[in-house]
Amino acid sequence: MIDDAERKKNRYDFDRHTPEYRENFQEITTEMLGQCPVAWSETYGGHWVAAGHDEVFALARSAEYLSNDHDVRNERKGYKGITIPTPESEFQGGFLEMDPPEQRHYRQALNPYLSPAAVGRWTPVVDELVRACLNERIETGTIDFVDHLANVVPAVLTLAMLGVPLKNWSLYCEAVHASVYTRHDSPEIARVREDQMKMFQDMYGQMTEIKASPRPGMIDALVRAQINGKTPPDLELIGVLALVIGGGFDTTTALTAHSLEWLSENPAERARLSAERGTLLDSATEEFLRFYTPAPGDGRTISADCVIAGTEFKEGERLWLSWAMSNRDPSVFPNPNEIDLARSGNRHHSFGLGIHRCIGSNVARMVFKRMLTDVLDRMPDFVCDPAGAVHYETIGVIQGMQHLPATFTPGPQIGDGLDETIARLQVICDEQRLAEPVTVRKDSARITE
Amino acid sequence: MKVHVDPDRCQGHTLCAMIAPDLFQLDDIDGHSTVIIDGDVPADLEAKAAEAVRSCPEQAISVIP
Repeated sequence: MIDDAERKKNRYDFDRHTPEYRENFQEITTEMLGQCPVAWSETYGGHWVAAGHDEVFALARSAEYLSNDHDVRNERKGYKGITIPTPESEFQGGFLEMDPPEQRHYRQALNPYLSPAAVGRWTPVVDELVRACLNERIETGTIDFVDHLANVVPAVLTLAMLGVPLKNWSLYCEAVHASVYTRHDSPEIARVREDQMKMFQDMYGQMTEIKASPRPGMIDALVRAQINGKTPPDLELIGVLALVIGGGFDTTTALTAHSLEWLSENPAERARLSAERGTLLDSATEEFLRFYTPAPGDGRTISADCVIAGTEFKEGERLWLSWAMSNRDPSVFPNPNEIDLARSGNRHHSFGLGIHRCIGSNVARMVFKRMLTDVLDRMPDFVCDPAGAVHYETIGVIQGMQHLPATFTPGPQIGDGLDETIARLQVICDEQRLAEPVTVRKDSARITE
Repeated sequence: MKVHVDPDRCQGHTLCAMIAPDLFQLDDIDGHSTVIIDGDVPADLEAKAAEAVRSCPEQAISVIP
């Protein structure tokens, strides 16, 4: 046995919720990776921080010693889930704040909607949405890539996959994004909470409707799922829906905005990516995921005394797994702080690792690639305006952007606008039952007039 | 050279099939990977097999010389 002082001898004052952490991310990351790939921090009641690639890998895959459980009613061990510090209003964040077997049962219910084969079926729908979003701006020569594109497409698609009417997207979209970027002491917070309440009311209404009369989509799978032999209570299902929606909206938006911003600053690389997309698009996507890590990490609770990656952990201790910092480890990624669109061996941690791997990773990749390539085709000379770009003030939860205005040479509209497209896609979703799981419907969506 | 996916380690990240669609196929329901070919990796796909090994976030893929 060694004493606490010895166990916690690698110390770092780590506070990822400050604007300084965002501003100094590269320096802090280099320092932690070099000196203390696993460190004890006294912040937020005391917690471990894992930054090294090998250490994060070993820890994240040790499901037998790590718990994601958020025991909001104190029925088990009182663990606090994946957010550090614990939020004021405690709410279980779906199966990301559960352990197996319940966690596994939820994933098994949703996998047939989110696998590569399932997601591929939606590509024609996404192409229609992207085309329509760009149509809204193409003649003006100006766009806000966040407001007019990257917020819209993931939101509409996620609702379609859930089985929620597509026209409700704006009700969900702003509520989700604003809840991530608005500070809790901001005068805006009352309005943001009100918008969130409206979204939850709509979500609950959809769930009730689908319980009474089935219609295809992930909500249908959830309300009929047997989780560990039981039908879950409504509140638990709302947590699962909030996870799917939160995971589906802000993250892909964040990835797309940062990538477009970088491509505007590196026009030669943009031209190369566009010209060589057949060979570069996949590796470039993984590289943007590595470098910008939209969801920068996850909290865990140590569920049994253990020694992992050379550190002795005690049951009940909290741990932050930093995907973002481990993605800059020079022992795995040569020149880690540079973007290399052709990077090989890119085993980044941006979708997490182990049993909790992001269940929406296939959606994120597909939607990102379709948005990016359509922008490259229709707005090839876009220039982002650094004065108008708004990054999230802190990157503790999502490394996101609130605005990214840009100008480009205007071009012609192709087909109809966004509202007409959404109305048309709703008919297609209903007639072709697109939101069925891949086990029921294997064919891709067909876009009809 | 043979290539192997450890089904207990694979979590469906899909990078292997992106890199080498002729070597790996993904399950329709959960996206987990299996090796398509029986026996040795064709010589022209050996580099891709090695790149899949290096790229797997779960380190679930191995090659046997």
